[in-house]
Amino acid sequence: MKKKEINITAVFLTAVLFFLLFSGSVLAQSEDRFGGRLNTAFQMSVAHLDSDNSTDSLITAMMNHVYEGLFEFDENLKLTPHLAESYQVGEDGLVYEVKLREDVMMHNGQIMEADDVVASFRRWLELNNGGQLVSPYFDRVEKVDRFNIRFKFEEAYAPFLNILASPVSNQKFVVRAEEVVEEFGSDVIDRHVGTGPYKYEEWVPDQKLVLTRFEDYSPSPREGSFFAGERIPYLDEIVFNFIPDAQVRVSGVQTGQFHFAEEVPRDQYQIFEMDQNIKNVIIYPDRMSMLIFNNAEAPFDNKYARQAVAYALDFEELGYAMIGDQQFWRLESALHEEGNPWHVPDAGEGIYGVYDPEKAKELLEKAGYDGQPLVILSGQDNQMERQGAIAIQDQLEKIGIEVELQLFDRPTVVEKRANKEGWHIHLSPFIKVVPDPQIHQGWTGTNKWISNWDSEESREMDRLFAEMLREVDQEERYQIVEKMQAELWDSVPYFNILDYSRLHIRRTELKNFKSGWQPFFWNTYLE
Amino acid sequence: MLFLKKYKKYKHPYVTTSIIILSFLAFLSLFAPVLTDYNPVRNDARNRLQPPSRQHILGTDQFGRDIFTRILYGLRTSMQVGLAVVILTVFFGGIVGITAGYYPEIDKVVMRILDAMMAFPGIIIAISLAAVWGAGKLNIILALSFAYFPKMARIVRSAVISIKDLDYVDSARAAGAGDLRIIFKYILKNSASPIMVQATFNFALAILDEAALSFLGVGIMPPAPSLGAMVTDARTYMVVAPWMILAPGIMIVLAVLSLNLLGDGLRDLLDPHLKNTLKK
Repeated sequence: MKKKEINITAVFLTAVLFFLLFSGSVLAQSEDRFGGRLNTAFQMSVAHLDSDNSTDSLITAMMNHVYEGLFEFDENLKLTPHLAESYQVGEDGLVYEVKLREDVMMHNGQIMEADDVVASFRRWLELNNGGQLVSPYFDRVEKVDRFNIRFKFEEAYAPFLNILASPVSNQKFVVRAEEVVEEFGSDVIDRHVGTGPYKYEEWVPDQKLVLTRFEDYSPSPREGSFFAGERIPYLDEIVFNFIPDAQVRVSGVQTGQFHFAEEVPRDQYQIFEMDQNIKNVIIYPDRMSMLIFNNAEAPFDNKYARQAVAYALDFEELGYAMIGDQQFWRLESALHEEGNPWHVPDAGEGIYGVYDPEKAKELLEKAGYDGQPLVILSGQDNQMERQGAIAIQDQLEKIGIEVELQLFDRPTVVEKRANKEGWHIHLSPFIKVVPDPQIHQGWTGTNKWISNWDSEESREMDRLFAEMLREVDQEERYQIVEKMQAELWDSVPYFNILDYSRLHIRRTELKNFKSGWQPFFWNTYLE
Repeated sequence: MLFLKKYKKYKHPYVTTSIIILSFLAFLSLFAPVLTDYNPVRNDARNRLQPPSRQHILGTDQFGRDIFTRILYGLRTSMQVGLAVVILTVFFGGIVGITAGYYPEIDKVVMRILDAMMAFPGIIIAISLAAVWGAGKLNIILALSFAYFPKMARIVRSAVISIKDLDYVDSARAAGAGDLRIIFKYILKNSASPIMVQATFNFALAILDEAALSFLGVGIMPPAPSLGAMVTDARTYMVVAPWMILAPGIMIVLAVLSLNLLGDGLRDLLDPHLKNTLKK
């Protein structure tokens, strides 16, 4: 009898104990997430931290924690108001009225107001590449009252909001404190007062950037999704270390020195897979390898010669040679990826991915190619550029074209490709995930960018872009994008070979990490 | 030939080993097209990073190229570069060394210039020249020769100086021989051994430095095979495809080791002062 009582008591006590433990852990769960110092390894150092004054996308990637945009993109590339509460576009597309959130605290302890936004916007318009795209069409920005702003255009400019939130390089517009903008003007800013979940703490050039949690951060009321919505700063401190050597980044994560490493060799994927402490982070194919012709020089001043190259290349073989394992690349003929609202599924049908060396030879003959050696100009530091150039040389030589390979470091390549002569084919990685077809305006059409494309066809392309600029209706714009893709695959001034992913790695103790096109660490926590 | 006579007498083990290895390497590089069916630069990326198998006895690289084939042709490149560099350094180093050694007036000026050149490490000079002229086989050969020839000149000069005041040279002059005849017939012939030894070391050094330059990306341009460039490429794949780095690495070691052994052996055989250290 006594024994049984003890048993019952024991069972009861155990139950109570479990209950206490369980409820405690539930209560503690979200509290526990706070704290910790996150160590990350990034591949390139930056010259400074002023995104408006640079084309370096890493600046935006890091300073996304410090600065926020009026609008941000979510997981599905949907434009979402962030520091803005709501917005209205006038019927003719000439006026944008934006209402700001009224509770946003800045790092200097003041509430963000229209003055801050207006000052930051004027600087962005003048200095930033994105701003320079907008400014020819722009009229002025006005403060309506403390929390309302009006943007006025001289001509309709459809991609305006998309460019404001653009994840491409440094195009994004972010809000800085008015006092900082006034203090620095167009000089490089080195005192950072933003609205983000983290504050600027310390920057040691070529070594590291340290950010600490902003205790009074006011998160967006929307649900968190990539860059948009609620951002919770769980971590006390984030350290961005600049480690150029990939192998050092890898071993840092393997030994636990770093919790996250950016861009590690894709061919070591299997090894990370076997390591229980490491998780692979494959980024959705967010880069495309672009083959660019020098349209000014023979033989590629003729569109048949350019088409011939597309037929002469075995794209699948190129995928293996350029990138490697099949899970890191996929064939894609359109400039916008699948899932992007601007994706054109049947772009380049009949020419893209059709491997037909005989047809290539015919087309070359039609173009009057005289057998002169072709120069491939490419970078030697990036795997895609280097191995891609070697593989393309190999494939062109197989159909009897003589090819001279010129591999240089990045600055030399940029200098050489700016010349109208001396090269025929150039390989370059492009950012794939872009929110608006207008982004491509920068390198399409008459004599823009480096393709030296100046012909009847390029003028047609210019007309298409001008039309696209004025068209505010999404449906109508999509049809123009379809026309643009068709035109691009007919005259082929440059073309997309394939899309490829990058590989990051993280420690398993870093939780809730979302693989955006730029790494971010709000909403993540350390266990 | 003094050397052959001495070799028959002493049977130096270094020299024997090195000659065996060297003839093997020379065989590989000379008969490369016969020894393999593959082309060293043609890709087959669908079969990339294959481990050693019957089709590819040393596996394939990141483009699916046969590593054995690339090693044979890479060895060819190394040998060509080494040989060309040796010929150029002996020729120019010889001319400068002889003039400086024979004519004391010229000596002061020329040797100070060479001293200044020797103050820089050879590989640094080669890297900067290759960076200025651009990569490529010919440029590497010129850059390396330029980097090595001061040392060769110095060695020739000291040999000339030590010989030119000997009695038999004086008697030749007394018999009415001209400068050229004295230099070639009496001086150069008797200073051949230090030049030969230095030339062998230069050969090894040239192979090593070509590999180093290619490793740094200023050497042989891809896709042409080079042992050094193969090592660079393999670095990324070291963990997943170790055969990629082992094969060219071992080849470099073999080539350089055998040439250095040969150089040491030659020095022992040809230097009268070291004669006693050899077993009879």
